[in-house]
Amino acid sequence: MFDVNELILKKAKELGFGDVVVLSYEMNRRQVRFANNEVTVAKHWHERKVELFVEWEKRIAGTSITDLSEENIEKTLKTLKANLEKMKPKEDYYGIAEGPFKYKDIPETFDKAIVELDDPSEYVERAINAALEEGAKRVAGVLYTDHNKLYLTTSNGVEAFDEGTGIEISVRAFIGDLESGHGTNSVRVLKKFDPESAGRKAGEIAKLARNPEQGPEGRFDVIFDPLAFANLLSYMGWAFSAFAVEAGFSYFANKLDQKVASDVVTIKDIGNLPNGYATRKFDDEGVPTRETTLIENGVLKTYLFNTSLAKKYKRETTANAGLIAPRAWNIVLEPGDHTKDELFQEVKKGIYITNVWYTRFQNYMTGDFSTIPRDGIFLVENGELKPIRNIRVSDNMLRILQNVVALTKDSYHIHWWEVSRPVTTPYVLVKEVGITRATK
Amino acid sequence: MHDLVEFAVERALDLGAEYAEARFEEKQGTSIAMKNGVPEGLSLLSDRGIGIRVLVNGGMGFASTNVLTKESVAEAVERAVKLAKSASKLRKEPIKFSEEHFHQVKYEVKMKKDFRDVPPEEKLELLKKIEEEVMGTGIKVPMRYLAYSDHVWHKIFMNSEGAYVKSKIPRVSVMYNLVVFENGQMEQAPFIERAFSGGLELIEKDEPWERAKKEVETLRKLIVEGKRPPEGKVDLVISPEVAGIAVHESVGHPYELDRIMGREAAQAGESFVKPDMLGERIGSEVVTVIDDPTIPNSWGFYLYDDEGVKARPRYLIRNGIITEFLMNREYAYKLGLNSNAAARAINYNREPIVRMANTYLAPGDYSFEELIEDIKLGVYMVSFNEWNIDDRRYQQRYIGREAYLIENGEIKHPVKRPILEITTRGLWTSVDAVGKEVEFYPGTCGKGEPGQGVPVWMGGAHARLRDIPLRRP
Repeated sequence: MFDVNELILKKAKELGFGDVVVLSYEMNRRQVRFANNEVTVAKHWHERKVELFVEWEKRIAGTSITDLSEENIEKTLKTLKANLEKMKPKEDYYGIAEGPFKYKDIPETFDKAIVELDDPSEYVERAINAALEEGAKRVAGVLYTDHNKLYLTTSNGVEAFDEGTGIEISVRAFIGDLESGHGTNSVRVLKKFDPESAGRKAGEIAKLARNPEQGPEGRFDVIFDPLAFANLLSYMGWAFSAFAVEAGFSYFANKLDQKVASDVVTIKDIGNLPNGYATRKFDDEGVPTRETTLIENGVLKTYLFNTSLAKKYKRETTANAGLIAPRAWNIVLEPGDHTKDELFQEVKKGIYITNVWYTRFQNYMTGDFSTIPRDGIFLVENGELKPIRNIRVSDNMLRILQNVVALTKDSYHIHWWEVSRPVTTPYVLVKEVGITRATK
Repeated sequence: MHDLVEFAVERALDLGAEYAEARFEEKQGTSIAMKNGVPEGLSLLSDRGIGIRVLVNGGMGFASTNVLTKESVAEAVERAVKLAKSASKLRKEPIKFSEEHFHQVKYEVKMKKDFRDVPPEEKLELLKKIEEEVMGTGIKVPMRYLAYSDHVWHKIFMNSEGAYVKSKIPRVSVMYNLVVFENGQMEQAPFIERAFSGGLELIEKDEPWERAKKEVETLRKLIVEGKRPPEGKVDLVISPEVAGIAVHESVGHPYELDRIMGREAAQAGESFVKPDMLGERIGSEVVTVIDDPTIPNSWGFYLYDDEGVKARPRYLIRNGIITEFLMNREYAYKLGLNSNAAARAINYNREPIVRMANTYLAPGDYSFEELIEDIKLGVYMVSFNEWNIDDRRYQQRYIGREAYLIENGEIKHPVKRPILEITTRGLWTSVDAVGKEVEFYPGTCGKGEPGQGVPVWMGGAHARLRDIPLRRP
């Protein structure tokens, strides 16, 4: 689609636009959804679109074009120009990246076998069966295959192409109404895909969670399963964006170079993570993606920047454009030195939370939030697991970060409905987490 | 576009589908944002495409494309049929749809002030007015994120059973996030939205700048005068805004029949409600909850759902008794009922699934004064920030933003962050009186995978809850 990009860029320049970014997508995505051990629907999406960003005398605008006829392209550009002429300038706009750049191939981001996969439903069957074998009665979930092509052309000399694939599954297994477990598996190459592991984990947790009793409230040492902690880190991905910081949506505001977490916490955003579900070669301005350390041994090192916001703060872009709002690619919490067994042994009396959902903030600036454990929840007492139910994590994100005491050596890459920004995280032990419950 | 939609349905039948539907959707609109007084840029929305859903051998397939040629649509139809066939192999029983009476209709929501004729700088003026009113208070509001958005949503739906529905619904909204600093303390009102189906006149009449100004004054007052809320068992009066989120989360969602039947189990969850609970008491006599898509100019407005079924008000709870679930054709069939037109899709590339529209706590006969006059010790919760509920929709929590102490029948000083953490049955059986006036608040309801955020209104009348265990931070 570079011909379309070139045409748009040429016409935009003729109309007098300054910075122009043309990002074209060609997407093929398949989905198989299942519930009650059967397929509820199978889907296919085919989409071709161009995302367009233009600047004219510090006035900026964006749109996407799906009708790629020359006539519509001209009409769209003229509409944008006419609108921008009547807009007020964005005084803190400082431009886009100067290209061209060199790009490296990132391992494990494309696999022809996924493109050529005719019917992925056998993987669904395997995942369901793995959960049933563990003792589940009802299994629900979703499988996706992805094939994306990305063509980027900018007025600053960038012409870049990326092609990626992916396959992922999310499985939730139930025994009764209150006993459930969840497992996921998200990879970019078919040979690493392990749907059984997701089904097995979901089934195992559901089995362990049998006959839960009402949980306690108070402050407890909590072991977060990777699935659960990934949810919190996924939300945190947005809080690192310089845009979120300015707009009042981040508890990291005014905390650069300060201690925001315990010494064992190092969090990165890795745009070029091999086999990472959101990995891309370049950001929306064409800057090659890279690894950015956000929190190093507890100290907040940087926000996520695009070129314009970086210049405003006299920093370097972190290759996270979003032209308006920078965003994370793959959030990675660096692993620790514990085995899973050692981590559980550290807890004399605490709680193991396997999954959470519905994370909501009462104040984005302070980081006060609550989230609800779902699927298996367990009291941990001297190595024994006792299933409980109906509790809520009610705490503060910065407090949680500061109270991280131990991490396992093994990490897991998590991406599902509740973790929209992919996260790689180990099991995490956090001391004195606030736990509440309804009393009527 | 009519021809392409018709072609898709016919082609699917030719390929062996026992049922086929096609939906063309087009959205055209504008968004403008302003961050801390600086325009953030303009975004033009222009999106269109066709989605095709079929049943083959009792399996369901869906495919969409935004390349609007006959070849591309034919390809999408073939994919949908193939996917349905493949899906049917992993099914115990075939999917069937309830029988419905279909219509051939066109409807449109008219705009008095058509936002398509209004240049962006005039829309930006709306945000500037909010900015000015907020800054004019003299209160320190260092972070201000404001957004305006509009679009016209055009649809053509057709199915193989004779339905033809063409609609055009304009939607317009203003959103703001405000952070107030005072005395070294901070309060925040995030994602406050005003939103309607209709023209720009609805936003102008609603005066969001007056609301924003009042909001920052309230937040400041909360910092300066706010005290700790009472703890333990007290009476609680909830506003229409709080009643709205409570009916949405703990009545609307658990009454979605697809969720009750387990279809959403891996995502939005299941439900504590079971099919045999129809007719069972869940709340006190004064609790009636209605979901009505047909309210004129509402954010959740529609007259026909995305399966072509005619919409009507749905009484989810009548006088405390569970009376109706929210249904689409697939799950209505399972209970031997007719659909009540709750199938909605957010775009051409999404399948229609069971959704709410405008859900509210129906009015009672109490004035606000009557609701509070005999309360010895209580709290009046006017608005909320943090909220959530478990995935069976039973254990929920709402944290008050603007809230006041009620003492001996009078509203006293503001209280900070009173926490209502309660079960659904506990909540609705505690209501002993409901106010006369109904108000609505817009929201985006999330469900489905990929996610479908549909526009909804939530609201109702004031309600009084007796002997509620209230917490504080």
